[in-house]
Formats: sequence, structure tokens, C-alpha cells
Amino acid sequence: MSSGYLGTPVLQNVSFTIEEPAIYVVLGPNGAGKTTLLRTLAGILRPYHGELRIGGVGYDDPASHGRLHYLSHMDGIPDGLRVRDALDFYARVERASAADVERVLDLLDIRSLAGQYLSQLSAGQKKRVSIARIFLQERDIYLLDEPTSNLDPKVAREIRTLILELSRNKIVLYSSHNLFEAREVGRYVLVIRNGQLTLFDRIENLRSSRFVIGIRVLEPSAALEGYDRQGDYFLRELSGPGEVPALLRDLESRGVKIREVREMDNPLEELFG
Amino acid sequence: MPTAHRAETTPSLVGTTIRRAIVLGRIYLVIGIAYCVVLTAVTSVSASSSSLAGVAVFLPVFAVVGAMGGMMVFTNDRLKGVLEYLLSYGFTPRRLFVNVLVASLVLASIVLGTALALGVGLSVAKGHPITVPLAELLGLYSIPMSYASVAFAETVGMFWTSLSSPRSGMTSSVGLVPILGIAPAVIVVIVLTAAHALALPGELAALAVVGIAVLLMLSLIGRLLPLERLLSPT
Repeated sequence: MSSGYLGTPVLQNVSFTIEEPAIYVVLGPNGAGKTTLLRTLAGILRPYHGELRIGGVGYDDPASHGRLHYLSHMDGIPDGLRVRDALDFYARVERASAADVERVLDLLDIRSLAGQYLSQLSAGQKKRVSIARIFLQERDIYLLDEPTSNLDPKVAREIRTLILELSRNKIVLYSSHNLFEAREVGRYVLVIRNGQLTLFDRIENLRSSRFVIGIRVLEPSAALEGYDRQGDYFLRELSGPGEVPALLRDLESRGVKIREVREMDNPLEELFG
Repeated sequence: MPTAHRAETTPSLVGTTIRRAIVLGRIYLVIGIAYCVVLTAVTSVSASSSSLAGVAVFLPVFAVVGAMGGMMVFTNDRLKGVLEYLLSYGFTPRRLFVNVLVASLVLASIVLGTALALGVGLSVAKGHPITVPLAELLGLYSIPMSYASVAFAETVGMFWTSLSSPRSGMTSSVGLVPILGIAPAVIVVIVLTAAHALALPGELAALAVVGIAVLLMLSLIGRLLPLERLLSPT
């Protein structure tokens, strides 16, 4: 299918089928079309060409209704309400019960916030409330647009854990531009580049053609002569991560005081061009 | 295209929207009511019953100011992605517009109710009867024009919000709505002042123009506002 905004295409000839319950990470640089893909799958944007089908039936078939949850990259927080009222608001929209609201207050650990106005919450707390709505009702497919953006690492990890549990028997499409996050949660990856699906594969097959590490040291050393430099980092190309410990032992034995070691090449740079 | 996760019918959110409009627009509501109270109190000191007529002519202005909470809900919801969320669950743009419009009219009713109760109460308490021309002015112009002005202001504001990037200050919809909304009522006041008379036919004509403009805009929502216009632009 192809889709976009106000007649201007963003996604072009994107086609894929998903059957296995898992997390499918939609990766791509900013503006590639990740949000457009999820909005189209959510039924907000109408495809210009092509067709969307769930369980073999089109979106206009009542059998397809009530099978998706969509979480946009915006919080979707209805200001002017307290947390519990906001959850009641979501529950009303999604035909969930008061018991479901009570359940997600505990699940997302936001019961202590229930009486607070949403405007009083931090960004992380708002995100928790926002994400809580997708746990009000079970659906078959979850479309999550950057669900952990703007969260501190601890909260982001907690949210990812919840989503991982969810994905045991559900299909989750999870957009991100962070490869490391993708590797942590995803089983499959869909790479969107310039509005086209350029890769759909298992995530472990996503690797760089080169493995380059950067070494940052406390003070310059003659042992690092001949290394290329990138900012504060001395670069060394290896055949794989297995060679790193031996290299570090060798450098340390030659008096190099190592401060930091990191992988320099990001496969996303190759994929995104 | 139907969304694949909507329910068979979308629920009413009017009650929640009214509550949110009161919370978000409480300052405007207080200002609208305060204007009414002050003007009514000041004019009630006058010995003439026609002083209430002066208040009655200004009621649409107070109503527009007091009903700003509805506009604030709409603007806020577009920016924060709430409209996108609701659209994904099968709400139509028209449904979202009407939802906010109803909330705004309820806020306007609070202002009107306060103004009328106070104005009529003080007038009667001072022994000034509610004359037939005054009742006509209130019933045929002030009250309907207040609702029409609020509907006009909110509809223009929602179109403006939907068709533009987020703005702040006086060019935002929240900045523009009071100015646009009070324009018809102010024009009527200026014309009536220039004519030195309360000309009911002129007031009814103004009311009809505003009412038609509102109905026209509401009928064009489907054509002028595709779903994309209601998505958060950020």
C-alpha cells in the first residue's frame, strides 16, 4: 500500500505480512515514514493504493473491528483531568470496565498518582498513564509509536519489560530509531527508508559489515600510535566482539590506561544511508 | 475507512469534555461571570429599568469570553495527540467538533444564567418591571445571539486550529477566538448606538447571519477537514 498526508505520498508500495506473535521493530531515521506506517495501519490515514487486511478480512469488515490498539508518539493525555479520570476517559472510549482501570493502576504502578492532575506529572509519569490505556483491553495487535521516547532509562526498561510480556501471544509493531532498543526488545525488524520498506528480517541478522571499536584513554600512549582517531576515540577494526578482551589486555599490558570502550559503527548508518 | 479497532459505536464524551473545559478555561469563565456581575451591579444602581437592556446587549460578549474553555480543550487535544487517539477509535471530525461545541455552549449557559438571574433579580428587587421590549430583547436577541456568537467563535477557532501550525499568543486560536467571537455582537452594539435605538429587526438580522455562518461551517467540516488536519503537527 501507499499512503501519506493530504494527497502527498510518504509511504510507497509497502507490503508485508505478519503472522507470528512477537515484537516487530519498525526502524528508520526521522521522517522515513514510521509514524505514517503506524497511522495507516491504525486506520487514521487512508491508503492511496493497496489494501490492509487483518485475519484475512479488510478494515471495512466488522470482523476486523476491535483487534488493534494504537499508541501514538504523542502522549494523548487529556489535560484538565486527574489520572484516574483520564483512565476512566480511556476506558469509556475503549469500552473497558472500572475493574480494568483498577488493574492498570497497579500494573503500571500509578495508583499513587491517581488523584493528581495530569498537568502535575513528570514526562515519565505521563508516559506511564498514556501507556496504561493499551492494557485496559486485550487486543490481537498493538501499534506502538516510540513508546519509550523521552523516558529515563529505568522507566524505559520497565515499559519495555511490560511490552515484552505482552508480545508472548500478541503481535506488536514498535517503532524506534534506536538500534540498541530494537535489539533489546525485537525479534524482527522492518526498516523504513524514504517511505519504502527496505528490510524485513530477524533482528539478529541486522549487523554491520564492519566491527570497529573506539577506545578512550586517560592519557596518550605510544602504544596507540598508528590508530585512526575520531574525536577522543582511538579506532580499531576487528573481526568481531570476541577479539575485544584480548586487545584490551594487550593494551593494558603496554601501559595504556583505558577509560572507555565502545562500538563505533552503527549498522543503522549503513541501513539508513 | 473504518478503523480496525473501533467499537460499533463511539461513546459520548460530552460530560468529560464539559468538566475539562471548566478546568482548563476556569479563568475565562470567572472573567466572563465577573464582567456580568460588575456590569449588572453598576447598572442596577441606576433608577431606570432600561439599564438592564444595556447589559442584555453585551451578554454575547460575556458568553464568548466565558466559553473559551471549549476552545482550549480542542487546541490542547490536537497538540497532545488526544484527537489522534480518538480518531483511531472511530470518532469523526464532526463528532469531535460537536463535542467541544456542546461543552462551550454549556459554559456560555453558566455565564448567561448568572447574568440573567442577577440582572433580573436586582431589577425586580428595585421595583423595575421586566417590560415587553426588554423581554423581547433578551429572548429574541441576547440569549440566541450569545449562543450563536459562542458557536461562531468556537467553530472559526476549531477551523483555525486545524488548518494552522501550533501558534502561541494572539495569533493562536485561543488568542483569536474572543476577538472573532465578540465581533458580531460588538458590531450590533455600535450600529445600535449610532442609530440611538434598540432596533430588533437589525438584531435579528445579525443573529441570522451569524447562525447561518455557523451552520455553513459545520456542514463543511467533512469536506474542509480531512483527518490529517486533526493530527498533532509535532
